[in-house]
Formats: sequence, C-alpha cells, structure tokens
Amino acid sequence: MDILNIYLPVAGIEFNALLLIAIGLCVGVLGGFFGVGGGWIVTPALNIFGFHMAFAIGTDLANIFGQSIGAVRKHQKMGNIDWKLGMISIITSVIGLEIGSETIISLEKAGDVGFIVRWCYMFLLSTLGCYMLYDYFVLLPKSQESKGTDRGSDSADQSSKGRNRVSSRLHRIAIPPVVSFPASGIEGVSLWIVLLIFLFTGFLSGFMGVGGGFMIMPALVYLIGLPTAVAIGTSLITVLFTAAYGCFTYAAKGRVELLAAFIMLIGASIGAQLGATAVRYIKGYGIRLLFGIMIIFAALSVATEQFYKITGEHFFQSLAGIVLMGTALTMSAVILVKLKTESAKEKNSR
Amino acid sequence: MSITKLAAPLAIALAISFTLPIINHQYQTAYASETGNSQETELKHKIDTSKLSGVDYWIADMYNNDRVMYAVVVTLVMAVLGTSMAFLTDLVLKALGLEVSKISHRE
Repeated sequence: MDILNIYLPVAGIEFNALLLIAIGLCVGVLGGFFGVGGGWIVTPALNIFGFHMAFAIGTDLANIFGQSIGAVRKHQKMGNIDWKLGMISIITSVIGLEIGSETIISLEKAGDVGFIVRWCYMFLLSTLGCYMLYDYFVLLPKSQESKGTDRGSDSADQSSKGRNRVSSRLHRIAIPPVVSFPASGIEGVSLWIVLLIFLFTGFLSGFMGVGGGFMIMPALVYLIGLPTAVAIGTSLITVLFTAAYGCFTYAAKGRVELLAAFIMLIGASIGAQLGATAVRYIKGYGIRLLFGIMIIFAALSVATEQFYKITGEHFFQSLAGIVLMGTALTMSAVILVKLKTESAKEKNSR
Repeated sequence: MSITKLAAPLAIALAISFTLPIINHQYQTAYASETGNSQETELKHKIDTSKLSGVDYWIADMYNNDRVMYAVVVTLVMAVLGTSMAFLTDLVLKALGLEVSKISHRE
C-alpha cells in the first residue's frame, strides 16, 4: 500500500491516495443521494487520518464544490431542480449565515461556546431524525389508510403530493406577495414564509458552523412541501454555491491542500453521479427514512464527542470517529446496493 | 443536459465565489480598522520548496508567493475536474445502462 502514498506539499504530509479516493467516493454517494455537502463526514475523517483541522475544512470545501457540479448536472437531467427556489435559498441563506456567525462571534466574547453549539447540533440532528422516522412509521401509514378509506380527503391529496400538514398550514398563511414554484408543484406560498425558512436554516448553519445541506433538504420537504427528489436537487444548488465561496476563501487563506482535493474529487465525482442516479430508483419516503437514520447516528457521534470533551477520555473521541465513518460507509453501501438491485429489476422487467 | 445549459449557473456560482470573498475582505478590513482589532486568519505557513520539483514545486511556489492566484487556481481546477469527471462518469453510466432522464416524483 506504501506505493500509493503520495506527498502532499501544502499539508506537508504523506497520505494514501486510495484512502482519499475512498473517502471521496463515500461522501460523493451521500452528497448526490441526499443533497448534502457531507462536510460533517469528510472534515473529521481527514482529521482522524492525520490532516491538520485547518486543511481538513478547506480541502473538504474544495471537494464539495467539485462533486456538487456533477450531482447538480445529474439532478437537472432528472428534473429535480427548482432554480427559482434555489436562487432565493442562496441569497437568504447567506444573510442568515452571516447573522448566525455574528451571533457566535458575540457569544465567544463571553466564553467558550463550543459546548453549547455541540448541544444545539446534537438536539437538532436527533429531533430532525426522530421526526423523519415518526413521519415514515406513523404518519405515512395513517395517511395511506385515510387515502384508502376517503379518497376525496385533504390528507389523501397531501399524501399523493408528498405534502404534509406543516407545509399545508404554512401555505394557508397567504401574506402577499404570494409566489408559485411550478417546477416544485407549489401553486402558492407567501414569499415571506419562504424567506423566513431560509433565513432560519442559514442562521443555524452560521451558528453551528456547518454547510447546512442537511437542514435545507428537510426544510424544503417538511416546511415548503417539495417532493423529496426536488428538495434534494434544489438543496444541492445552495451546497454548490456556498462550497464555491468556501473553496475560494479557504484557499486564499492557505487552507486548501490542492493535490488532496484533486485526488479526493476523482472518487467524489463518481460517487456523486451514482448517488444522484440512485434517487431515480428509490421513492421519496425511502430516501427520507435513510436520511433520518443517518442523522440520528450523526447525532450519536456528536454526543460521543461531547463525552470526550467532558471526560477527556480519548476512547470517546475515537468512538465518535468510528460511529461517523461507520455510518457513512454503511449508508453509502446501502445506496449503492439499492441502485444495483433496483436497476437490475428494471432491466429485467423491460 | 448539455454542458452549455450548465455553463450559466456555473458562471454565476464562480462569480459569486469570487465576489463574496472580496466583499467579506473589505468588511473585515473596515471592521478591523474601526475596532483596532486585526483578525489574522491567514495561515502563516511557508512550504520548503528546496526538495520539491515538478507539479509539487509549482503548487508550493504559488502557495508561498501568491495566495490569491492559488485560490483562483484551486477554484478553477475543482470546477474543471468536477465538470469533466461528471461528463466521463455519465458516459460510463450510460454504457452500463444507467442513463437517466426526467423522472416522475414518487413519494
């Protein structure tokens, strides 16, 4: 394996090229499939394998930017992107992100806020994950039942469109201007509601120092009422733009290892294409279920990291890394296997 | 989707990625002069280029001497590689029968 070790001149370390491609492939699959950047996987992974944290974040952002191009292209082909909503998301999220990061800077003056941020992160991930599981195991069977007994009911209509109660209620708040998003099948929603949602997700991104793709996708599904596949594609536009911005600024600050990002992107581009293609074969609720499971494990990893901060036991730090990497690897494998089996089924049925 | 269709959004992404850091830099400079705090965020790291050659030397030299050029090169390399790899992977997937077209959105 030593033959695959390459010298990374900027980071000043030797690193296994195959490992970089594997990390890239794994995060690419997840990024293309869930509409997220996957920074929460790559950054700790690179750090665990010997990258300085400053280089890990910057290199990761450069990779996300590159991989998102392919994923956006693929989702565009499948009609999964609402550009109008995506553009609104980018502009509003940036404003929210600035407010969030300014809040953190102000709080930092009062003391260490890392602890609080991790609790918020953990709370958000676990709540979101649990709600998605609740939606899949409780709300979905109920709405399917009512669809069977009362075909003309509101819930049956919502279910067929993939719309839920929260988004339907939000759609009724018709404060002008009311806008429509034909690409997403949204006939009328107050622009203020949309702006507030993106401002909030942007604020959380800035506050917690994360890319935000994992919040935008569920927000688009549960609060605005987008079909899951369109939410994934549209979320990826925000990821693409913010990562492009991050890539440039981090590189200008000398925090991107170009060679590592380049090699990682080879795997990530392939992974992103495979992940995006898999969306075609898996129903929206299936994607949401997998996403819910993944973020619950991510919350577990953050909780384990929190134990490390409290106790100082390095065991918990290693465990956090193992949980995170294990989840990412398992989830990528599940998506690829599903892609293989479903595409084979489709071929056989032709 | 053809490359030309992707060109417009990509151009906007690149324009934003180049413009926002400049605005951010201006804002930070103004903030620093107002408060008297100079927030040094750049990594004061110089690479020893004496033992390097070829691409490694080129990257390290640019990193040491011109960070803005380094940032431009990094962003462009990622954009070009991302687009080319997407194009190549698409061809391979098509050959494997995994071609995609517009889908119906099933929940």
